[in-house]
Amino acid sequence: MDIGELKKQSDISYDIAVAKRNALEKAHARLVVVYNEHIFRADAETINLVKTLGEAHTSPLYVLDTNNNPVEISEPEEFLKTLVARNQEAISSYHQMSKTFAKRGD
Amino acid sequence: MKKGVLLFCFDTPDSQYHKILEKCVALIKKNLKLEVTVVTNFETYKHLKPLGFVNYKFIEPELGNKKNGLEWRNVDRHMAYELSPYDVTLVMDIDYFPFTDNLRQFLDTRYDFLISKNAYDMTNRNSFDTRRFSMIDMVWATVFVFRKGKKAKRVFDMIKYAKQYYTYFMDMYRVRDRRFRNDYAFAIALEQANGMIAYDTLPITLPTLPPDCKVLKMDDEGIAWQYNDQVNYTKDQDVHVLNKEVANV
Repeated sequence: MDIGELKKQSDISYDIAVAKRNALEKAHARLVVVYNEHIFRADAETINLVKTLGEAHTSPLYVLDTNNNPVEISEPEEFLKTLVARNQEAISSYHQMSKTFAKRGD
Repeated sequence: MKKGVLLFCFDTPDSQYHKILEKCVALIKKNLKLEVTVVTNFETYKHLKPLGFVNYKFIEPELGNKKNGLEWRNVDRHMAYELSPYDVTLVMDIDYFPFTDNLRQFLDTRYDFLISKNAYDMTNRNSFDTRRFSMIDMVWATVFVFRKGKKAKRVFDMIKYAKQYYTYFMDMYRVRDRRFRNDYAFAIALEQANGMIAYDTLPITLPTLPPDCKVLKMDDEGIAWQYNDQVNYTKDQDVHVLNKEVANV
């Protein structure tokens, strides 16, 4: 491999790393959701918690928001639906973007 | 309940901030769909192109602060509480471009004052993660939300106090940067007003393009920039641009 080709590959790797980081941060930003006047992250932990509590406990549920304040959730199913919708919106956008990384890295 | 965005914009002899404002207002209207009030002076206002329905509040900016030897008119943000016509206000730097509606939802919380402590470098160099010498966390006064009431008023009163005795507080908290920065004035005020313990924050990390990145293109979906000989872009993601040449893109 000549030095020109090496530089080219290095530049492509840098571009992919920057694009991946930004796409991931974009997804993280989109995961933040306001529900019932409180802020939550629609991440795996919150979704699993709400689903588990919903199955094992009668409503209302009590969960912590991103500032560790307790929140009463009177309609867990609606809350779970909101979390899942936001999670999949963010992650599917990241998935679409990741396809372009793979293309550029070929 | 009235909700809206408050922006501060003053041209300087070196930077045409009104051109940045024009881009920012267009994105607020497209993505955040909120009423906008601009705090400015007549000198800046007369250069603005028509922006549709926007409220204006005219003040004379406090002068004297400098950044890299150039005039920096950033000192008036402590007046946001008095100047805002809204019950719940989103205050943004005009170089924070909202390419999404992500910020809109934060006006629907029950919090009195929310601000972010985190930013990240969009060029992946982690240039904002430098060693911390100060005794308090810095906040990013680039974006914050407040709801008018006793608690928010106390925070703003404290910001005014921190501004008045800024040198004292800088020494006390061992802040090395000697310029007046809203980021530190707000951090000090929040620390003091909350009894020197943790306070509620916005759980967002502000995507920030460092000043050595040249913005090549910007449209209503995203932004492309150059760092060294590398060109990158992002779309549908909010961006805080620190290079003021974005005014001329």
